[in-house]
Amino acid sequence: MNKNGTDIQFAVIGSAGDGTIAAGDILKRAMAGLGYKVIAFDIYPAEIRGFGKCISRVRITTEQAYSLKRHSDVLISLDDSYAIPHVGEVRDYGAVIYESSPIARLPEGGHMTAHVKPSQLPYGMQVRSISERVTASARSRNIVVLGYLAGLYGIDPQAFREIIADKFRTKAQAVTVQNTAAFDAGYEVGQSVFKLDDVQLGPPVRKGDSGKVTMMTGNGAVVRGCIDAGLDTFFGYPITPATTILERLAAELPKHGGRVLQTEDEISAIAATIGAGYTGARAATATSGPGLALMTEMLGLGVMGEVPSVVFVSQRGGPSTGMPTKTEQSDLNLAVFGGAGDAQRIVLAPTNVEGCYRTAGKAFEMAEKYQTPVVVLLDLYLSNRYETVIPPDANPFAPNLNKGLDAWRGDGEYPRFADTDDHISPRALPGEEGGMHTVTGLEHNQLGKPSDAPENHLAMNAKRHRKLDGALSHPDFTICKRFGDEGPVDVGILGWGSTFGEILEAMFAAQDEGIRCSAMKVVMLSPLPKERIVAFMDDCGTVLVPELNYEGQFANLISGALGRPVTKLTRSTGAPMQVEEILAEIRRLAQAKAA
Amino acid sequence: MTEPLKPVYLEDKLNEVRGDGHLRYRSSSLPTWCPGCGYFSVAEGVATALNRLKVPLKDAVIVSGIGCASRFPFFMETYGFHTLHGRTLPVATGVKVANDALTVLAVGGDGDAFAIGGGHIPHAARRNADITYMVFDNGIYGLTKGQTSPTSVEGFVTPSTPYESHDRPLNPLMMLLSYGASWVGQAYAGRPHHLTDMIAEAVAHRGFSYLHILSPCVTFDKTEMTYANLDVRVRDLPADHDPSDRLVAMEQATRAEAPALGLFYREERPTLIDGMNDIAARATGKASGKGKKNKK
Amino acid sequence: MGEAIHNVIIGNGSAGNGAAITLRERDPDCRITIITMGSLPFYNRYDLPRVFRGCYDWREILVHPLSYYDDHSITLRRNSRVTDVDARSRTITFAHNEVMHYDRLLVCAGGQGYLPEELSDYRGLMSGFGSFEAAMTTYKALPAGGTLVMLGGDMIGLDLARTLIDTGYRVVLLTNEYTFWPHRIAEDERDGFIQALGHMGIEVVDGVHPVAVEEGEAGKPARRVIFDDGGDVQGDVVMPSYGLVPTAEFMLGSGVDIERGLLVDPMLHTTDKNIWAAGDVCQIWSAEDNAYRFYYGWNNVRLMGEMAARNVTGANEAFEGLEDERLRIDKKGHIASPFWEH
Ligand SMILES: Cc1cc2nc3c(=O)[nH]c(=O)nc-3n(C[C@H](O)[C@H](O)[C@H](O)COP(=O)(O)OP(=O)(O)OC[C@H]3O[C@@H](n4cnc5c(N)ncnc54)[C@H](O)[C@@H]3O)c2cc1C
Ligand SMILES: Cc1ncc(C[n+]2csc(CCOP(=O)(O)OP(=O)(O)O)c2C)c(N)n1
Ligand code: SF4
Ligand SMILES: [Mg+2]
Repeated sequence: MNKNGTDIQFAVIGSAGDGTIAAGDILKRAMAGLGYKVIAFDIYPAEIRGFGKCISRVRITTEQAYSLKRHSDVLISLDDSYAIPHVGEVRDYGAVIYESSPIARLPEGGHMTAHVKPSQLPYGMQVRSISERVTASARSRNIVVLGYLAGLYGIDPQAFREIIADKFRTKAQAVTVQNTAAFDAGYEVGQSVFKLDDVQLGPPVRKGDSGKVTMMTGNGAVVRGCIDAGLDTFFGYPITPATTILERLAAELPKHGGRVLQTEDEISAIAATIGAGYTGARAATATSGPGLALMTEMLGLGVMGEVPSVVFVSQRGGPSTGMPTKTEQSDLNLAVFGGAGDAQRIVLAPTNVEGCYRTAGKAFEMAEKYQTPVVVLLDLYLSNRYETVIPPDANPFAPNLNKGLDAWRGDGEYPRFADTDDHISPRALPGEEGGMHTVTGLEHNQLGKPSDAPENHLAMNAKRHRKLDGALSHPDFTICKRFGDEGPVDVGILGWGSTFGEILEAMFAAQDEGIRCSAMKVVMLSPLPKERIVAFMDDCGTVLVPELNYEGQFANLISGALGRPVTKLTRSTGAPMQVEEILAEIRRLAQAKAA
Repeated sequence: MTEPLKPVYLEDKLNEVRGDGHLRYRSSSLPTWCPGCGYFSVAEGVATALNRLKVPLKDAVIVSGIGCASRFPFFMETYGFHTLHGRTLPVATGVKVANDALTVLAVGGDGDAFAIGGGHIPHAARRNADITYMVFDNGIYGLTKGQTSPTSVEGFVTPSTPYESHDRPLNPLMMLLSYGASWVGQAYAGRPHHLTDMIAEAVAHRGFSYLHILSPCVTFDKTEMTYANLDVRVRDLPADHDPSDRLVAMEQATRAEAPALGLFYREERPTLIDGMNDIAARATGKASGKGKKNKK
Repeated sequence: MGEAIHNVIIGNGSAGNGAAITLRERDPDCRITIITMGSLPFYNRYDLPRVFRGCYDWREILVHPLSYYDDHSITLRRNSRVTDVDARSRTITFAHNEVMHYDRLLVCAGGQGYLPEELSDYRGLMSGFGSFEAAMTTYKALPAGGTLVMLGGDMIGLDLARTLIDTGYRVVLLTNEYTFWPHRIAEDERDGFIQALGHMGIEVVDGVHPVAVEEGEAGKPARRVIFDDGGDVQGDVVMPSYGLVPTAEFMLGSGVDIERGLLVDPMLHTTDKNIWAAGDVCQIWSAEDNAYRFYYGWNNVRLMGEMAARNVTGANEAFEGLEDERLRIDKKGHIASPFWEH
């Protein structure tokens, strides 16, 4: 990939107080504004407001990329003590930019110059003194460095100035003026530096789109999807990495006529969501694994009571409180199976930021149409990473898919849970004349009256499961998709969630090496598109399932549901999977196949 | 109150109310409660009160948890949601937020409310969600056949506390008063007319109203919260009780050995929905901040 | 575990690198750190004229593959200027405020291009040639077929001049006493050598005294060199070429004896027992001349580095300098020098 076009990954590393994330943010927005494709991911310290390590990685490309690269092309250190351990990620002939005049006296090895490898190019810069000269404060060091970067790589400074102005628009005018001056000062220095690395920035490919392109995180895209799908109520309880969904919706949803409430816990959040869903609202909540664990009883009520609701779950390292600021894909079992009884629900896992938008919106359609909870599984890596997205011209989401009271034209008592052709029952909403009924988590008959008769339980269980099959052909939604070589292949890769970006990159690389392979992303994890997966597996010599957990939860799901062996590639370090790891495994399997 | 207890028979009750219109609030399902259970009075009181307030059936939603008390919605011809043990209030909050034109009633037992659901009550109260919350306090777990509950007396012997319970009972009224409920009252299933009046008042209140209903479990409690015991223990609030004075209300609430019936406390203040409407106005630029913000 | 001896070499030129590899050969266990102000690993400076022949990639003029440093366990510290050496505590301090300890120090800091005082105000208008970056910058400033005005004309500059003429540029040379540096030219031979420069295609202007450099007028070449008699000469770039002066200021507070360069005995030992020096930075005691003298040129310097390293590790060799240091005129009538033979 990206053999001819631009493909540069920047890594800005410093402490929380250095404006590291802000610098990364301006960088990625400026590059997106210029028309490059951007994928970016920030890593924050676990401490709340401490001065822990922050990393902002920004990959800009002209051709579509699917993940971050293992190697960065340029590292920008705002704090050597944090950046030094990461020098190794800079590729040969890449650049390392750092403060050349630290104020503190350093012991031997305390400065970046002690660690830059002979194959990397060191660029020292008097960041602090420039910031202090121009703005009378060291605060703008991050902006000075951005200017330097723009100067060094010949990036249009105007793109940065606009983003800087936007970034500080809520502050006093002087803040923008000072930071712009800081940027310009850095730019001037960067321009005059003799560039020795071989990092090359080509022109962006699709200039025409540059006005429309926006940059979003996975969580940002979820929020957009919610709003475009007409979310009415949102109830949430803060938990990393889902908190930003709550926060963004708290700011945005009231502008669109919706209501947001921070509840006292996750049980309350899902309970209120189901209460609102029962009342006819498009309702959602968002949480992470620990919250989902609390929510499972209510999910069961949603299944039993056939109440629409949407639960966004951004996974983090587990079990228990686990690793709140590390990524992992280990809540699949909980999302698919969690709760009492045979409580099948719809579970969707988007694989990229664009997918977060679509999946979020479609989740509401499905919840409403199939009268069920829908769990949307994200993870920290997807929630927090930025990608450039071209928003659709028209709202792609259907406004109301409730099979209402009108669908029932019978006499006698209204059968809220009537079994029908598609097993979806007419649903009356509170306030509607003639539809009064009680929803219950007790097993009930078609009228909604409690019943534990054996034939009733059997029939209702069947109804609740069968209606979900409709979701497998839900209009305008990709439940799974195959990429790469057509027909029989030596190695097939089955993937889900955020790791699919790395899977695609690895697959393309393997194809370049002459290995016949293809990859299938599975977006709908429940109900599982079994037929399509089986058809794919039939084409594959071996099937590899890479995922970010210890047990191989998706691999277990597949082999359990389909009774077919797969090769697991699991990793649970808290970091995203590396393309190279997947590639190595593809190679190994291809060789084993050949032998 | 020395009159011996007369069992309340459903048929008698039905006859009594026939013709006065409120029967339509009762569903076709007959209550599955034990004969003599205090809950019958509440069902009756709710039907009468809603009728009195002219709340259309389609616009009333009764949300409950799990327990004998929580069976309540099945027996009413309104919209109902029989949810999970302890989750009555958050579900009711969701209903109200989704459609504030609805009249939302929440019901549950003392275990549902103060054991498993105890964490939700302060929040519904402080938000002043416009919900009428009625807790049917029988001082016992009825549905699971008679275990001790958070309002059971100290020393209570039950199947789960065969050597006596050592836990002190909670004082729900004190809790609700300090949680910031904007309407707090107490009624007794053995005084059905007063109970009905209190229900009507609670539903009419704009904001979170908490009605504590003392209601004997005739099947599992033969010694403590019986009609006979309660009939002697209950008293009326003093005639000059000032329901706008929270401290006085608390003082009355502390005298748990002689439960007072009536309206303990009432205040008018913006509801959860008022707050949300204010947020909407601010978010859309139709109103400016009130200076109450807590800047990050 | 005892700490390995830390040999620190200030200088990433021929002297420093010759010293480093010799140290490694003689002591496989010691720590070796090479320090440089430059951004690049060790490259052949005498190859820099190649820039004007189309070599724009520094990787082509590297002396060693990049794995060399790891392979020999040599730490290379680039962009690291030493500001201070404290011989007592055996520490050096960097401009970036880091402090490093050494057991033995080899100063191979080389020299810098000399610029006479009266021209120092015009530094910004002149081009350099001392490093890859400087050479590339000069190359970019020089239009095809353009004119370079060279002031002085030491052997480094004249080497470039040959290449420039070869590749279609014009070179105007303003000669003076630095012309042919470091060769010491007898009075009577000078005219012959100057003539030879003319043969080589260099346009020699002899006997003028430049006092200022200015930007050229619009439409004219970018630079103008003005003489004390009011005359001038125009060109696209102006390059001073006045020979090298030792880079020794940072050693001033170290306690080591300094004249113009660091003073060393024939064993290249300074007056401090833990400090040696080699290359352009040092002046070596010559009993014959009864003075400290410089030995320039790549070949001399490399030898010095190696010898200093041997002496650091126990040898006791005296430096003599190469025999043939004379400037000549070859069959084509061009000047020729051992300085240009590598
Ligand atoms: C452009 C050019 C072309 C030349 N061409 C030829 C030629 O063709 N033939 C020939 O024989 N000779 C040539 N020479 C001269 C010859 O290269 C020198 O005599 C020889 O390179 C000197 O080597 P050195 O190791 O002593 O110092 P240098 O090669 O000058 O190296 C000095 C090193 O010391 C470092 N240094 C200096 N001060 C500090 C400090 N304070 N802190 C940290 N590091 C410091 C510098 O960064 C540098 O790495 C040329 C010189 C130049 C400048
Ligand atoms: C999560 C959960 N735990 C336990 C139960 C079992 N359970 C059902 S009702 C109940 C207690 C009921 O007591 P109370 O709320 O006082 O209602 P009552 O039956 O007395 O009216 C319990 C423990 C349950 N349904 N759900
Ligand atoms: S068990 Fe007790 S609380 Fe339950 S219905 Fe019977 S009497 Fe009422
Ligand atoms: Mg009870």
